Amino acid sequence: MAKLRLEITKGEEIRYISHLDYASAMERAIIRAKIPVAYSEGFNPHMKLSFASALAVGVTSQAEYVDIECKEEVDLSQAIKRLTAALPLGILIKGAKYIQGNVPALMAIVNLATYDVTVPLLAEDIGIIEDSIRWFNEAETVSYVRESPKGKKEIEVKQYMAKAVKIVPLEKAVRLMLEIKITPTGSIKPGEVVVALVGMFDLPVDIDNLLIHRTGLYISDGNVQVSPVEL
Amino acid sequence: MRERNIPLYTLESLKPVKEFDIVGFSLQYEMSYSNVLNMLDLARIPLLTVERDENMPIIIGGGPCTFNGEPVADFFDCLVLGEGEEVMEDIVAAVAAWKKLGKVDGKSGILKKLAQIGGVYVPSLYDVTYHEDGTVANVAPNSPEAPAVVTKRVVKDLNTVGYATKPIVPFLDIVHDRIMLELFRGCTRGCRFCQAGVLYRPVRERRPEVLLKMAKEMVDSTGYNEISLTSLSSADYSCLPGLVDSLMDELKEQGVSVSLPSLRIDSFSIDLAQKVQQVRKSGLTFAPEAGSQRLRDVINKGVTQKNLEDAVTAAFQAGWSSVKLYFMMGLPTETDEDVLGIADLAYKVLDLYKEIKGRRGAKVTVSVSCFVPKPHTPFQWFGQNIAGEFERKQQLLKARLRDKNITFNWHDARTSFLEGAFARGDRRLGQVLLKAWQNGARFDGWSEYFKYDVWMDAFKTCGMDPYFYATRDRNFDEIMPWDHLSSGASKEFLQREYEQAVTEQLTSDCRRENCSACGVCPGLGVEVLDWGNKA
Ligand code: SF4
Repeated sequence: MAKLRLEITKGEEIRYISHLDYASAMERAIIRAKIPVAYSEGFNPHMKLSFASALAVGVTSQAEYVDIECKEEVDLSQAIKRLTAALPLGILIKGAKYIQGNVPALMAIVNLATYDVTVPLLAEDIGIIEDSIRWFNEAETVSYVRESPKGKKEIEVKQYMAKAVKIVPLEKAVRLMLEIKITPTGSIKPGEVVVALVGMFDLPVDIDNLLIHRTGLYISDGNVQVSPVEL
Repeated sequence: MRERNIPLYTLESLKPVKEFDIVGFSLQYEMSYSNVLNMLDLARIPLLTVERDENMPIIIGGGPCTFNGEPVADFFDCLVLGEGEEVMEDIVAAVAAWKKLGKVDGKSGILKKLAQIGGVYVPSLYDVTYHEDGTVANVAPNSPEAPAVVTKRVVKDLNTVGYATKPIVPFLDIVHDRIMLELFRGCTRGCRFCQAGVLYRPVRERRPEVLLKMAKEMVDSTGYNEISLTSLSSADYSCLPGLVDSLMDELKEQGVSVSLPSLRIDSFSIDLAQKVQQVRKSGLTFAPEAGSQRLRDVINKGVTQKNLEDAVTAAFQAGWSSVKLYFMMGLPTETDEDVLGIADLAYKVLDLYKEIKGRRGAKVTVSVSCFVPKPHTPFQWFGQNIAGEFERKQQLLKARLRDKNITFNWHDARTSFLEGAFARGDRRLGQVLLKAWQNGARFDGWSEYFKYDVWMDAFKTCGMDPYFYATRDRNFDEIMPWDHLSSGASKEFLQREYEQAVTEQLTSDCRRENCSACGVCPGLGVEVLDWGNKA
């Protein structure tokens, strides 16, 4: 049994759909494209798909990954062609390859995510921005309180930052480039990092209007990072 | 959206609704009227038809409520009675031609054109007068283009009419998030409370080979993995077992499953349910509608205690253990004994389980709605129970259903009261609707949003009496606000059925038995198409 691994996007058109809806859009496209996908056994069979990571509502991405378990191998270019025709606006196929054998799940191997966060500025002076980012980058620890229906939980942010935050000044806005580790015990969301930046480092941005875009998902050993289709 | 100054737009093209030539609403339920006004307002379209000129979209309503669209007559440019497939093309052609010629004679020009299309009702071309006691004196066209009676459109043969094989597949989870395969239209079992049974006459089946082809095309174009076999009573489809087999055979490879939304109360249905749902033992739902045999005869629900026992027995034997039972209260001639009969049935079901399985453990859910008499049914003359009476009966039943294996759900009597007033209301209710909407009424069908007091205030401010519409018994010779809107079934037929109801006489199903002379077939030039019978 071969797995078809795809690198796909979640574009501006579908920024506001949930991960579940994104996954069912993929499932429907796979049926429409007549990809010979495998189903789970049992009385309520599921299509055997696995995603590398769930993307939140409101977040776009240029690099999502999904493994589709197939009953047989259709010629790769054929499969891409058929899927491309069947996919809705907002999902593009950027890479594809077959993977043979029993490989670990994408979810288990991907350990680094990179993001561009674009957010309008509330101050004219770029110096203030640079200062606040530098303080954040130099801080030993930064704690963030995550609130959920289950209660409050304090999280240390810096343990998840793979690299220092970089900034690119834009017109009346700023782009923050984040590299975040995904660990077996958890991670931090890019939006949460920005909340911490605003709350504790006085980053003068309009946090209600931030746009998050995932730029990559990688398997990294600290030195080398590769994407799941480069593996 | 109001705060951010965003006008209502369409999800597919992101174009403001106001920029369209035609805007259509499906009127399925009276309690959605306030939302229609709200959508128009969000779209920045003036609510009243008199306030809209030829540069505004033409606002059209369809669906069962149009058969008494009088309460929304002030807001809609036209209401379309009956099935949409063919009439939609006529309407679009008329509007396109009018637009091409530079919108001749403005708004009234197009309305007069539309009024000449069969099935299209243009409320503004009719004047209504009233007697002193508030009943309708006369409804007459005020323009030669408008017919005295508008009769519904009906598709003669569903096998030849086009169908949408490429429905829009939204990203979001929607209510019917699956392929809806309509097996047939119409149901002539003749339940006397049922409006759909009258409005969609006669029964017309699709051929199994057409259905199979439709199903495959729709799977290919949508990618859905579930097909629901819809109809008013899908188990009545004459070729159902064969169709289910071939659908399952041909679509299994693509991971597609088949489901039946409604079950008939018999063991045939259980066999089928078992086949399509395989082992998913979620509960089964049956609708005996009334608790006693006498009352089931009154409403012509051709189900006996034995039918129910057989069906439930088959279900328990097949491994199901939870059963949902649907009933109504407030039906004509109902006594407390009939109401308590509901409890007896529920306990009977629990006992049956114990008999079959040798232990307790069945779960029965009893859902009881408040009967709302609807126009164009044999019960259109009947005065609805007042809310207090519904509540008394609900308590009566509740006291009797004290078993931890029985769950009892009931409908809010006040929502049903309002639904009843609008269902059989006339044009004068338009102002009540407008007032209630202005005072914040929205999503009235959702109990958490329903604002009863806002509605009652609106009635009061407008000097209207909701009881006059909902709970009053009518005389057979009273002119109904919807008498000029015809489903094809004659008033004589409905009256005959009412009289047979109160004398507890049954009427047979014209699908496979005798015609009961409702008038639809000869009147509209259509006939029953049932392949089990005549193929
Ligand atoms: S005219 Fe007769 S056959 Fe036709 S729908 Fe009415 S009762 Fe049935």
